[in-house]
Amino acid sequence: MIDRKKQPSISKIDKIDFLEPKHFTIKDEVKLHLIDSVDDESVKIDFIFNAGTKNDEVHIASFVSAMLLSGTHEKTTSDINEQIDGLGGFFQAEASRENAYVAVYGLKKNIHAILDIVIDAITYVSFPQEEIDQLIAKNQQNFKVSSEKVSFLARRAFGKSLFEGTQYEAHAEYEDFETVTRDQLVTFHDKFYLNGLEKVCVTANLAEEDVKNIIDKVSNWSNKHPREYVELLTNTPKTVHIEKEGAIQTAIRIGRILFTRKKEDFLVFSVLNLVLGGYFGSRLMSNIREDKGYTYGIGSGVMEMQSTGYFFISTEVGKAVAEDAIIEIKKEIETLQNVLISEEELTLVKNYAIGQLLQSSDGPNAMMDRFLSIDKYGLGYDYYDRIMQTFNESTPEKIREMAKKYLNWNDFLIITAG
Amino acid sequence: MIEFKKFTLDNNLKVIFHHDPSTPMAVVNTLFDVGARDEDENKTGFAHLFEHLMFGGSANIPDFDGPLQQAGGESNAFTSNDITNYYDTLPAHNLETALWLESDRMLNLAFTPKSLEVQRQVVIEEFKQRYLNQPYGDAWLEFRPLAYKKHSYKWATIGKEVAHIEDATMQDVKEFFSKYYNPSNAILCIAGNFEEAFVQDMVNKWYRDIPAGIKVPRNIPQEPSQKEFREKTIERNVPADAFYYGFKMPGKTDELYYTADLLSDVLGRGKSSRLHTKIYKELNLASEIAAYVLGAHDEGLLMISGKLNNGVSFDQLDDAIWEVLETVKARPIDLTELKKIKNKVETTAVFSDQGILNKAMSLSAHELLGDANHINVEQQIYDNVTAEMIHTYAQHKLVKTNCSVLKIKASTK
Repeated sequence: MIDRKKQPSISKIDKIDFLEPKHFTIKDEVKLHLIDSVDDESVKIDFIFNAGTKNDEVHIASFVSAMLLSGTHEKTTSDINEQIDGLGGFFQAEASRENAYVAVYGLKKNIHAILDIVIDAITYVSFPQEEIDQLIAKNQQNFKVSSEKVSFLARRAFGKSLFEGTQYEAHAEYEDFETVTRDQLVTFHDKFYLNGLEKVCVTANLAEEDVKNIIDKVSNWSNKHPREYVELLTNTPKTVHIEKEGAIQTAIRIGRILFTRKKEDFLVFSVLNLVLGGYFGSRLMSNIREDKGYTYGIGSGVMEMQSTGYFFISTEVGKAVAEDAIIEIKKEIETLQNVLISEEELTLVKNYAIGQLLQSSDGPNAMMDRFLSIDKYGLGYDYYDRIMQTFNESTPEKIREMAKKYLNWNDFLIITAG
Repeated sequence: MIEFKKFTLDNNLKVIFHHDPSTPMAVVNTLFDVGARDEDENKTGFAHLFEHLMFGGSANIPDFDGPLQQAGGESNAFTSNDITNYYDTLPAHNLETALWLESDRMLNLAFTPKSLEVQRQVVIEEFKQRYLNQPYGDAWLEFRPLAYKKHSYKWATIGKEVAHIEDATMQDVKEFFSKYYNPSNAILCIAGNFEEAFVQDMVNKWYRDIPAGIKVPRNIPQEPSQKEFREKTIERNVPADAFYYGFKMPGKTDELYYTADLLSDVLGRGKSSRLHTKIYKELNLASEIAAYVLGAHDEGLLMISGKLNNGVSFDQLDDAIWEVLETVKARPIDLTELKKIKNKVETTAVFSDQGILNKAMSLSAHELLGDANHINVEQQIYDNVTAEMIHTYAQHKLVKTNCSVLKIKASTK
């Protein structure tokens, strides 16, 4: 008979094999990174530009990002999309605060043809006025739809308050969209795309010759501008409520400015974050979802940016229990500050964290992500050994110390929308 | 080509094993052949509520997630109108923990009143968050009963109404479990870097003593074939008018499913599709428009949906949509366009076969529909679809009498 009450023995992960990409120089500091251990015909190419919303008012960066394939003097946007689709290619573009990203997907047999079309379209984009007008209307409508969602309202207010007084604060309002001019787009595009390429990442089983070919195509896009990032160390604590008529749930965002992984406390704090709200069995999920049934989900996280970062708790709860939910969140944090976590819970969290690290390093695309997250801060692969070591060496005392140091209710921004 | 092995235990549990030497992780995927379509019309939302209860502890193990997390893994699940699917991802050397957990909850649940009480609340909050507290969230709650009159696809997975979830009793839960959660009604798929013999031993060890149960014959009322155009307009406090056109189409086991899928690509997949080009780009009537198929096992829907631009009427849009539909009915698409949509399907297939979790889920789903190996021939079926087949299909199916339309009108406050 098998013993169904007893968990089969488990073994710990003591080592993770990381695969370093091959590196090629595009120009000076601008590199191409290649992971070629791909066992199928897929090709994924990511272009990272110094074209984030930090560089201008937020809507200019996102307009340019959305209009990269909007047409040249030779081709309409429909021609361009038709050609990319015809080759089985996919194109995505998005802008964040610090960078803009372009991703091209396709199969090996067509990838150079797809790239030629994309690169030509981006190089010679003419920002036709009727395309701008159409995008304005579309953005206005999307903005109205989003504004009906309490999660959007809370997230937006959170970002605005968190980065108050810096260039990361900017948020487009409905009226802003129609002020966009073609000249602004042309200037931004020229500065931050045609002269703003920071990095290219290729995940595909491509030969060196193919890679050289890609480099030739984009080398003159290399970034020629200083990269400036907000180095925020603190935020102004405050409580903001956004009234949303008719809402039956309230969105809650609580958090504060923190740090990046270059700061020594980052890793131990990450363990604390897991305990509090970073996984399904976390304190917040166990209490607010699995015990009280107040929400479909609640979580906390650590966001890293280039020279700053932040901690946040995020949930949507029934309107009637919103105040209770905040009281319970506060209680969970205070418990972590006052009561030592049991060895049993800590061991579980450590094992889970290392399992997650193994999973997030599984496969060529994941390997590229692992590389990017250390390369961004100038760290080497030994950093991952340090992660394992720090996780394993975390003690209940250290976790409590982190909670006391960084999770003080008086330091928090508390945003509710509903 | 995705290689796999198949074996069946004495208790009828079907097992698929996919060997992937390239990963340190393992996946245990369990598909139960039960979805919202199997629910009682007066107790809807139950298959999905039940999925939540499966994480509330089993016969011998009070906590499902803890031991899995202890082993470095994690778990989740989803419910659709057709199936309920559970999956665990964990480091390969700890595979046995997942089998121990999954086999115990297939054997029996703990059925604690607390779990039922809390998960009812959690699901009600999910109902609010996803369906009630955001613009257009209830579109499918309205559209399904318009398109289906008899078949249980007429309600959404979340359920018809919150009250059905509030009323769920422990007795309902127990009956549902004994009816559907047994080896005869399940497909188990294991993926990772293992020897086949090891997988067989492990599966036998943990699953062979689970009683087989009985495969319940599916007895869903057939949807009578639609013979009339259906239309419904509702007013909601939304920022823009929205439209949903649904055309009945064959289920997934019918080869015509693939023809319909490609037709939906011609019409509305991506920015070079006919609807996007005409209605968004050229006429500027909609701020977004797309066409897609729902992927249902029984008779499904080819959908066209989107949002109107300010100042555009539903009638203007309707004329334009039918004009585009007439273009695919008038003559077969040319070979360039056919090649284009097939190329996109091919790229999508290569990317969606990446990673053991995708592969394990997909093998299980194909096995349920008849044969796991279907995953390897699907591309060929798409390739075999001709422009003439799409043309004939469009002529028969893109007609008013096969169409249901839901309009959501922005109410003027």
